[in-house]
Amino acid sequence: MTSAADVQRNEAMQAHEIAVNPPTVRTDDPVAKAVQVVVVNRLPGLIVVDDADRPIAVLPGTQVLRLAIPGSYQDDPALVRTVDEVSADLFWREAGNLTVGDCLPSPVAKPATVPPEATLLEIATVMAKKHSPLIAVVDKTGRLTGAVTLERLLTSLAVAGPGD
Amino acid sequence: MAPVLALAIFVAAFWFIATERADKVKTVLIAAALMAVLGLIPGERVFYSEHEGIDWNVIFLLLGMMVIVGVIKQPGVFDYLAIWAAKRSRGKPFRLMVMLMLITAIASPALDNVTIIMLVAPVTLVVCERLRIAPQPYLIAEVLASNIGGAATLIGDPPNIIIGSRAGLTFNDFLVHMAPAVVVIFALFVVLTRVLFRADLRAHDVNLQQVMALQERRAITDTRLLIRALAVLALVIVGFGLHSVLHVAPSIVALVGAGTMLLVTNIDVTDVLPEVEWPTLVFFMGLFVMVAGLVHTGVIGTLGAAAASAFGENWFLAATALIFGSAILGAFIDNIPYTATMTPVVEEMAAQTPDAETGRALWWAFALGACFGGNGTAIAASANVVAIGIAKRAGHPITFWKFTKYGIVVTLLSATLAWAYVWMRYF
Repeated sequence: MTSAADVQRNEAMQAHEIAVNPPTVRTDDPVAKAVQVVVVNRLPGLIVVDDADRPIAVLPGTQVLRLAIPGSYQDDPALVRTVDEVSADLFWREAGNLTVGDCLPSPVAKPATVPPEATLLEIATVMAKKHSPLIAVVDKTGRLTGAVTLERLLTSLAVAGPGD
Repeated sequence: MAPVLALAIFVAAFWFIATERADKVKTVLIAAALMAVLGLIPGERVFYSEHEGIDWNVIFLLLGMMVIVGVIKQPGVFDYLAIWAAKRSRGKPFRLMVMLMLITAIASPALDNVTIIMLVAPVTLVVCERLRIAPQPYLIAEVLASNIGGAATLIGDPPNIIIGSRAGLTFNDFLVHMAPAVVVIFALFVVLTRVLFRADLRAHDVNLQQVMALQERRAITDTRLLIRALAVLALVIVGFGLHSVLHVAPSIVALVGAGTMLLVTNIDVTDVLPEVEWPTLVFFMGLFVMVAGLVHTGVIGTLGAAAASAFGENWFLAATALIFGSAILGAFIDNIPYTATMTPVVEEMAAQTPDAETGRALWWAFALGACFGGNGTAIAASANVVAIGIAKRAGHPITFWKFTKYGIVVTLLSATLAWAYVWMRYF
């Protein structure tokens, strides 16, 4: 017998319904590719997956940018100030042949994920807590099944809300 | 039964720490909890016994110094110094290496090694990349120099902090007994680097223009903050020098210094507290409880007595064993847990000596061996691990053996010189 709560839950929007299939990168991909994926697909962030398609990291756009900042500058604002203007414009070229794995922070923060049946409120709280405009949707085995962007979530919230 | 149980818990935990199979903070907390729950160390001793519990003097000395360092690093003085040194070296590799080693070795006795490396390594990478020379030899030389320099004072290296607190040795004791040895060993180490790194120090076609374009003056934006922070640091060092006269524990000097630093620099506390390495402090607490289990169950007493009887009345042989044994063991396992474990053993040995002077000679032998052992391998000291991590993230990896092949030579040289120093001065 189906309870009232189950009926309500089935009618409410869930993560898998609003998820998109974003392109992902692996740790051995070059940083340049990661930046390119974000730019070309106009993504708010990027999901780094392992060989079994399990998310290793969910990076907001600002943290994708961090991948391209040479490690020497990341935690040393005084050193950043010493760099002349000409070189400062070209900092991202210094990433060279570095891979995503080389540039991920250590330790990597636990990826922001939700299960496919997560409600809009669950997604919103994870997004807010993790300061991430992108959340990975994973199945019970931890494999990536999709992703929810901030834009999709806000649109869904607007649609789900009472009409004017 | 209790000693066997305590030893089994300790050995298992130490294995996990040494092999890095598990997080070291988790490991010591579990081992400490087991010691307490199984009654191998009574609860009240954990908190209230200096010799069979957490050494709060060490914990608060570390905390105070971490806060002081958290403020000192803000004005960018190390970036300024390293870029200035690079420009003054005119791109000559050996001159650059010596200047960078001097910066780290002079700063290490006053601030901790890990922070010095965290401050100097990034600017070293930038300078070397701009000169188009491999940064690895310079980073390795800086780490070796910081581990040697840190041995000079009570606050320069964590093993010294533990030894000083347990043996009741003052800041001035370290200055008088350790600093002379460190100065001589550092001078010879600088000469040795000319040979050790000769292949990397050949004149290259360097790109000096790129380094000259760096604007080191921009690193320091708040001169007032810098002057105030350096003035407080100078006062803290004077305070350490007077702590035995004023009958104030070094930890109190560090805490008062930390408070004064925050007060006069008007820096936001929330900017400084994240600079405190909380996991390190928790690691130390767990480690002390682990070792306390061994002390309380009599394992350490038995070990110390056995060590003392093994050397008979030959205390020079005991000092020799402490220097070389500590240098070798400290090289293969992190020298902090090694020192924390061995300190009560050395205390037992020192108690058996015929006079206090001989007992102190054993402490100095132990301190020199434990500090210089930190150079032995890539994992022997926290500064080594931090430098290797920074190099890897910048795309200039330093393999375990690349570091160790230099580290072993420097450890052998410094331990042998330390042994000659102990022999000539104390026996």
